[in-house]
Amino acid sequence: MLTIKNLTKSYGPQQILKGIDFQVNQGDVITLIGPSGSGKTTLLRTITTLEKGDGGTIDFAGVQGELAHLSKNDIRTIRQNVGFVFQNYNLFNNKTTLQNVTEGLVVAHKIPKAQAKTIALAALKKVGMADYVAHYPSQLSGGQAQRVGIARAIALKPQVIFFDEPTSALDPELVGEVLKVMRQLAEEGATMVVITHQMNFARNVANKVVFMADGQVVEAGSPADIFDHPQVPRTQQFLAEILSNV
Amino acid sequence: MSLDTNFMAQVFKTAIAGVPVTLQIVLVALIVSLPIGFIFALVRIYRVKILSPLVRLYVSFVRGTPLIAQILIIYSAFPSFLATIIGKSAFSIDPINYAYIVFTLNSIATLTEVFRSALQTVDKGQLEAGLMVGMAPRQTFVRVILPQALVSALPNITNATLYLIKNSSLAFIMSVKDITAIAKTQAAFSYNFLEAYLVVWVYYLIIAYAAELLFWFLERYFSRFQRTTTAKSFNWHLFSFKQPTTTVAAVQYDPKKELVNHAHN
Ligand SMILES: Nc1ncnc2c1ncn2[C@@H]1O[C@H](COP(=O)(O)OP(=O)(O)O)[C@@H](O)[C@H]1O
Ligand SMILES: [Mg+2]
Repeated sequence: MLTIKNLTKSYGPQQILKGIDFQVNQGDVITLIGPSGSGKTTLLRTITTLEKGDGGTIDFAGVQGELAHLSKNDIRTIRQNVGFVFQNYNLFNNKTTLQNVTEGLVVAHKIPKAQAKTIALAALKKVGMADYVAHYPSQLSGGQAQRVGIARAIALKPQVIFFDEPTSALDPELVGEVLKVMRQLAEEGATMVVITHQMNFARNVANKVVFMADGQVVEAGSPADIFDHPQVPRTQQFLAEILSNV
Repeated sequence: MSLDTNFMAQVFKTAIAGVPVTLQIVLVALIVSLPIGFIFALVRIYRVKILSPLVRLYVSFVRGTPLIAQILIIYSAFPSFLATIIGKSAFSIDPINYAYIVFTLNSIATLTEVFRSALQTVDKGQLEAGLMVGMAPRQTFVRVILPQALVSALPNITNATLYLIKNSSLAFIMSVKDITAIAKTQAAFSYNFLEAYLVVWVYYLIIAYAAELLFWFLERYFSRFQRTTTAKSFNWHLFSFKQPTTTVAAVQYDPKKELVNHAHN
């Protein structure tokens, strides 16, 4: 469904992504793990066109082309078919919970207001935020805000939803409510790519784990492969470090 | 020493004729400089070729010279310059027009900086969120970034307006018959300068106070979405004027916050 080949990306003289191949199939729940600074965020941002790639190709939603030379139309197509959940939620601060979800539906997808509202309410109900439709982001807790962020993404029925450390900015006691929503989405068959340090989620919810280090995919496989039988020393070392911390 | 209260009452009555003049200068300068200042801020933020350095030069030129010097330059140079185009009638133009020009040019520079810093305070993450729900950069800018930027600009616009009100008293230098000029003329007859200046002081206090109240209502109305975090109430005390330039000047250029990063999208 989504295929990335040989993606490269530099910031100035520093090469951040060094030729990445990445494949997402319908219904996949992929967790992307790896040390800080390994390029996970940059990978997601480049796939979703928030950053421009230097080299490599994308095949997604009918767009086939070089990431460095996407047309305006290609970019729009890609954006209209992905969802993105940000670490800092990035809710529209001047919009209510409901408006945060309807905004994209009405403005970008040209769905009539009444219908957009119905869709938005269903999405908010799914994340347990239906009682907060008139709240502004400044009135929500981090966990609530992130669940609105998820509702905003799923309301658009994207082919893939990307999550960039969706629980990292949350107080520990709020992490659970967000993970619960994500687990539920996965069970309903949503296609998801999740950067996370929540190893329980990676092990129990994902069907595929991708380990990145230094701008490269070091190892990829099923959770059992990666967690129980990592082949590459770099992976073993990372897992040993991160699992000893919990 | 005692104050001549009869004289004060008299000045109070005659100086009222200057109130509309003062208000006119302030309003004209504001109405013209608000949109232009906003456009100039966009020119700077999006680093529009050629124009951006010009705006920057303009702003630093205006902010780096005393207002009184700007007044004297415009007032002495502009009529002769105009005379070369429209002839001698240039010298009989109502001087309030020169006041409009000076104070507008001055406010444009201030408001350019006000809008520029306000636009940069809105986290660009929201712009990216807009792009990720499929909205165009322009749509996100207009519907999400701009409303928030305007709200965060309001306190500094209030300050700029208060400064404008007070600075407009320098219009007397261009023989504009504003509050200050009228009071000064009256005082010159009887040498009751202190009384006249006290009256002037009260007038400006009233006008500034009214402006502050008006902007407070605007701020409250437009910042509804942040009501919980900043429950502001109006400060009814006199002499509570915010000290403007500090907040404007303190905002340093921060390329990381530039919205322009997304111009290529
Ligand atoms: N906008 C940017 N400009 C310059 N360098 C950046 C930028 N964004 C990220 N980087 C650098 O790219 C590297 C990878 O960052 P990132 O993709 O955020 O890693 P991760 O998400 O795995 O922690 C880091 O060294 C980071 O400093
Ligand atoms: Mg990251």
